[in-house]
Amino acid sequence: MADSIEGIKKAKKLYLFIGTLLFVFTVVTVMVATVEWLDFGDHGFDWVDATIGLCIAAFKATLVMLIFMHLNHERPMIYFFYVLGLVMAFFCMWLIGWSKSDPIQFGNEIYSDGFYDLSKPATDVHGHGARE
Amino acid sequence: MEIPFIVNARKDTGLFNSKVGIWLFLASEVTLFGGLFSGYLFLRLYADYPWPERALPVLPGLINTFVLIGSSVTVVFAWAALKMREWRKFQIYMAITLVCAGLFMVLKGIEYNAKFGHQAVRLQGGGPVQDNAIVEGHLHYAKLGEDGLMVEVDEDRKKDDGVFKANRVLVKASEFSFVLTRPTHEAYVQEILRQAGDSKITLVEPYQVIDKSELSAGQMNRDQLVSSENAQVAEKGSELTIELLDDLEDSYLEARSHDRKIRTEFLSASWDWIRNEKGEEQAATYIVEKEVWKERRVEDGEKLKILTLRASSEVTFKVDPPFTLVLETGDLVKKANVDDSSVKLRDDTLVTGKVLKSPMIMGVDALDFRTTAQRAEAEALDPLPVIEGTWLLTHTPDHDSHDDHADSEDADHRNQFKKIWDCHMAWLKAEEERLKEKGRVPSRNDKYRVNWDQILAYGGLGYDADKVYQESKARTLKRAGLFSLDGFAGANHKIHKGEFPHLEIPRAKVGFESTFTPKWNTYYAIYFTITGLHGLHVIGGALVLGYYLFFGRKMYESNPEWLANRVEVGGLFWHFVDLVWIFLFPILYLM
Repeated sequence: MADSIEGIKKAKKLYLFIGTLLFVFTVVTVMVATVEWLDFGDHGFDWVDATIGLCIAAFKATLVMLIFMHLNHERPMIYFFYVLGLVMAFFCMWLIGWSKSDPIQFGNEIYSDGFYDLSKPATDVHGHGARE
Repeated sequence: MEIPFIVNARKDTGLFNSKVGIWLFLASEVTLFGGLFSGYLFLRLYADYPWPERALPVLPGLINTFVLIGSSVTVVFAWAALKMREWRKFQIYMAITLVCAGLFMVLKGIEYNAKFGHQAVRLQGGGPVQDNAIVEGHLHYAKLGEDGLMVEVDEDRKKDDGVFKANRVLVKASEFSFVLTRPTHEAYVQEILRQAGDSKITLVEPYQVIDKSELSAGQMNRDQLVSSENAQVAEKGSELTIELLDDLEDSYLEARSHDRKIRTEFLSASWDWIRNEKGEEQAATYIVEKEVWKERRVEDGEKLKILTLRASSEVTFKVDPPFTLVLETGDLVKKANVDDSSVKLRDDTLVTGKVLKSPMIMGVDALDFRTTAQRAEAEALDPLPVIEGTWLLTHTPDHDSHDDHADSEDADHRNQFKKIWDCHMAWLKAEEERLKEKGRVPSRNDKYRVNWDQILAYGGLGYDADKVYQESKARTLKRAGLFSLDGFAGANHKIHKGEFPHLEIPRAKVGFESTFTPKWNTYYAIYFTITGLHGLHVIGGALVLGYYLFFGRKMYESNPEWLANRVEVGGLFWHFVDLVWIFLFPILYLM
């Protein structure tokens, strides 16, 4: 953290630059989602657009954390707290991914577009037991 | 008392204490929002309906992103100004931050308000996939005509007396039966009385708590058991009031509790008798086996019949003359259909009469056949013919039947939605051809959903499919697009008054209806949950930063470094709020 007057003056320029970058990348996010020649993958929204959008968001978030929240030079204890929060957040996400492979709850056929075949009864791992 | 290590760092951690505190708090916040984001992921991965991709107007979200990023910059500038002991600059930067927070909440409010006022209906019945076509739009207004039937009125008159949203169930009520065991009817009774007007609502039969006390009570000391007041509680013809229902309810409950007491006393007297006769050991066996005991039971039963009070748990009132009761759909236990002879309210009150024609009337700003298509594909059917067979595209509107041209040879028998759909198919054809050159195909959204700006564009060409095709081919079709101001918070029915097609949905066709609130689907549930919680964070953060701005002067003069540290900590929270929005914006608005 810049504590001298000189250091703070320098830091202010950096903050402005990062702010501008964040503005620019917000525009990029919207363009990737809406402008046709920037629409990667299939036409319209698909997993490629989701990945790109989330990568840009992650990049922007990293900038905010490193510069605005001063994580580019912090004490070790702060990193410990930060990683702790992150690990728990990702644990929540992992749980969801894990449930996706749960054969008892979600044993019915799923279409390629992610929807269940509602016309067929859901079955358990042994192939019996209907939804109704 | 002096709080330690709030200005200077502790030696062991290298940090001032409030920073340790805020980071611990932020770690818990990351986990909280992580949980909510994983909730979003779960709902989306397992949604059994087409997820509303890019369903929100982008512009308010985009402006809010800029606003929050801007405020993140000004909040670090405010901190830097304090570090350089520039109070004036600190004030300016902090004030801008607060203005940004206010602007963010105002835009959020506009967005929420648009959602609360926007209606969606999933249609039902008919076809191989139970229809499932979805229409979105804006409810029109109606009132009761002189004949007691529903009449549409202009939206300008929505504040007039007796005007309601055209999504009500009308019942010609001739009788009400209230259930006295459900003590929740006050609001309903008030509403019924308010709407009754000059009609009289009177008790059909006298309400009595019956007691045959003149008959013999045997060896039981009935004076202890039966209260002396057991006469008629309400006369035949008594007018319905809340007080009357309360009285009847009290009498009913009193009778019940009296009966309970009597039964218990009888049982205990019988048990005493048998223990005296046969002794403790034999009593139980005797109850099961011996005829003498059965006789005793019959004898007791007769006495019980005499001594218990009997009161009806239901009271019926008749209405003279019958009047039209306007009910909200949510007041009914189950869906009502036209010509039903009764409806039941949530408190089990039975309204007998006749359900009148009570359609939902709305200006439609989007057609969505994605669910229909999804269900058709599940049945291995081609979605397009199934869509063309839905009620929405095939029905004949009521008001068209009186059309002068209806019988002439060149009459266009298609309803307005079929015309829109045909235009959409023409647009889709042009789009398919255009994308084919790039080796691409239209998305499901393109195919099966007609947005508000498309409806307006097709309407602008008089719903002429050929023109739509030519203009689409030439890429001159005028669509409002994502960033137009007139669709700032979605389809604008004020600017485009009368341009959105008029639809009357008969009650029987309404499968499920809701505004765009958590009730409509899980997308809006998670949208309101996350953005609502995020909005609360914005308010909380603004309050803290506002406190530093308006009450910080004294601290600045006595210990400026302390205030700078406070602003840094408040700023860290503010950046976190920005950080959450950086993810929320693309996830909720663009994906």
